[in-house]
Amino acid sequence: MGTAVTLVKDAPPAARKTRSAAPADRKRRGRRENLAGYLFMSPWIAGFLLLTAGPMVASLYFAFTDYNLFNSPKWIGFDNFTRMFDDPRWQKSVEVTAKYVVIGTPLKLLLALGVAMLLAQSRRGQALYRAAFYAPSLIGASVSVGFVWRSLFSDGAVVDRTQSLFGMHVGGWVGDPDWILYSLVALTVWQFGAPMVIFLAGLKQVPRELYEAAEMDGAGPFRRFWSITLPMISPVLFFNVLLETVHSFQIFGSAYVVSNSQCGPADATLVYTCYLYQQGFKNAQMGFASAMAWMLLLAVALVTAVLFWSQKKWVHYEEDVR
Amino acid sequence: MGTGTNVERRTVLKVAGVSAVTLGLTATGCGGSDGTSADGTVTIRYSWWGAEERAKKINQSIALFEKKYPKIKVKTDFQDYPSFWEKFQTQAAGGNPPDVFQNAVGFLRKYDKRGILLDLKTQIDAGNLSLDHFRPGVTSVGQVDGKQLGIPVGSNTMALVIDKKVYEKAGVDPTAGWTWDEYFKALKTIYDKTEVPGDTGYFSIMYLYDLYLRQNGKAFFTKDGLGFEESDLTEWWTDGYSRVKAGIVTSPKVVAQDTPKSSLSAGHGASEFTWDNFTVRYTAEGSSTYGLAPIPTTDGKDTGQYLASLMLSGSARTKHPKEVAQFINFMVHDPAVGKIMGYDRGILATTDQYDAFKPTDTVQKEIAQYEVDTAKAGVLGTITPHPSGADTAESAFLRIGGDMALGKTKVADAVKQFFSEAQAAFSA
Repeated sequence: MGTAVTLVKDAPPAARKTRSAAPADRKRRGRRENLAGYLFMSPWIAGFLLLTAGPMVASLYFAFTDYNLFNSPKWIGFDNFTRMFDDPRWQKSVEVTAKYVVIGTPLKLLLALGVAMLLAQSRRGQALYRAAFYAPSLIGASVSVGFVWRSLFSDGAVVDRTQSLFGMHVGGWVGDPDWILYSLVALTVWQFGAPMVIFLAGLKQVPRELYEAAEMDGAGPFRRFWSITLPMISPVLFFNVLLETVHSFQIFGSAYVVSNSQCGPADATLVYTCYLYQQGFKNAQMGFASAMAWMLLLAVALVTAVLFWSQKKWVHYEEDVR
Repeated sequence: MGTGTNVERRTVLKVAGVSAVTLGLTATGCGGSDGTSADGTVTIRYSWWGAEERAKKINQSIALFEKKYPKIKVKTDFQDYPSFWEKFQTQAAGGNPPDVFQNAVGFLRKYDKRGILLDLKTQIDAGNLSLDHFRPGVTSVGQVDGKQLGIPVGSNTMALVIDKKVYEKAGVDPTAGWTWDEYFKALKTIYDKTEVPGDTGYFSIMYLYDLYLRQNGKAFFTKDGLGFEESDLTEWWTDGYSRVKAGIVTSPKVVAQDTPKSSLSAGHGASEFTWDNFTVRYTAEGSSTYGLAPIPTTDGKDTGQYLASLMLSGSARTKHPKEVAQFINFMVHDPAVGKIMGYDRGILATTDQYDAFKPTDTVQKEIAQYEVDTAKAGVLGTITPHPSGADTAESAFLRIGGDMALGKTKVADAVKQFFSEAQAAFSA
């Protein structure tokens, strides 16, 4: 900033003259710079238009058609959308996804916050702990971890045997429609490292004086957490809640792999995107699948809007504290 | 800034160049050439489903083909069965299906209706492909409405694959013409004596229910729909569910965990209704000895069986129908190919290959004997047509049958659900 100002001030009169004398030239140069900028971006713009924007617009159109990939799409208005509400498997997929989001997200965030608070204090080997807790977030989404998960939660595998030690004879979660979804919840909770790192950053920002002052006033640990930590990190908390919720809605890979691409048994892991995939790519009901995709977008947008609206009730930005 | 303009111009040019190259590459990637190179060498794409073992054999066969036809190169890829058809559907919809591919009866009408399959009649008339020297009755599997849409590579038939060790231990000896009552009694004996459920889940296998229906004068499919009533299936599934609860049929919870392995080869069931050539796979997968037993009957004689077949089909879009025909012809007739492939895809379909391959291991010998015996018993009927959407109906049958057996869906609801999904599949 400073240099820019001095540059203008120290500019020789000649230069200033040129600038005022040839505004057209300047404009042309500006335009050329813009052109260069766009050209640099062009691979990404082309990618965006071809691979994101184009398909999105197309899917919006397909959502109102009967389209089996082979015949040309036939306009059927809102039929795909009304059909969803009559479809027991669609209802099941909504139920499964909602369950996953509502159970998995809070658990993951609680664990992330808890561990972040433990790691916020300086101790030996801190970097190692952080790296270790973060690692699952890096590999958790991979297909191979899905396979590992599948075998961990099978009959007679580690989880089954550990549970049996405590007298709980459930058997393998993977084959049991009442349990398999919880193995997916466990998989997402296990990846608490990513929100944890964000919480850690938030916790480091809380001024120490606040805690010292509170302690002097006789506030206990719970009180300090409730009245200082939580409000101070509420923007970070909001960010994490938003990110993880939206992310959870889109669960696909783990459900697909852990259920051996069946999204079962008995549709117990038929998450929304999995049903969408089955309708679109197995049953070739691309119109219905497109409508489902837009419905998901609407639902996620609605949840996001509600979260943003709720912000003013519980999220405190720095201005409020001052 | 005077030089600046130059730099800019150069940069602009570079960027433009890079972008052009990138876009150009993308374009080539999408465009797909017609597979002919400058020296007249033609490349055809061949896709199939199966596992590593089959891939090895097919690659050896292709090496022979390319030696005989140096101007034709064959590019291959393979997946497991469900992934294969997902990928195929997407490729076919995009107008880019493989030139030659493995096919089965359940997909003929579906892809014929969509104009994907090459009618090989013209190539047969042109002399590039021969329908002579096939074992009797085999070629009809590939015919739909007077078109030859697939050429069989091998024939197979539904059978009861059994875990011989468990059957022996329980003292059960299946005989030709045994009835369903005898079969279900045997399951109970097996379970009582060995604690192994006798069957891995017969009630959700479309091809088996088809046999049962055929024994009773019906069939699973008609040309354009289902060949049975809701009441038929309600009875079939009610009985199935009670047998799961009795423990004589493997719990679907266990089956779900065993997949993609079969519960039979995993040791969680003593028998399974499936294609006779699957004993090859189960022997490789499991630790017991596996054999073939007759299909139970309703009247003490009729099993409802027929010869089915894996086929090779061509794409209607291919730019090289002649080469495709030559390739199929070589793969089904060449004796050396028969020797390499064995009974991996069923009993070899042509007499040339059938005579060339003499199985030395008990498993393949037994498959050959099974089909000879079945043919001799005079129970082989003709295959019933599969309507467009049969594949989707089949997987819905398997899935919903499993849900029902888990006790998660009432039988009546499961039956309704199946009928509604099947209707949707036929009209798609």
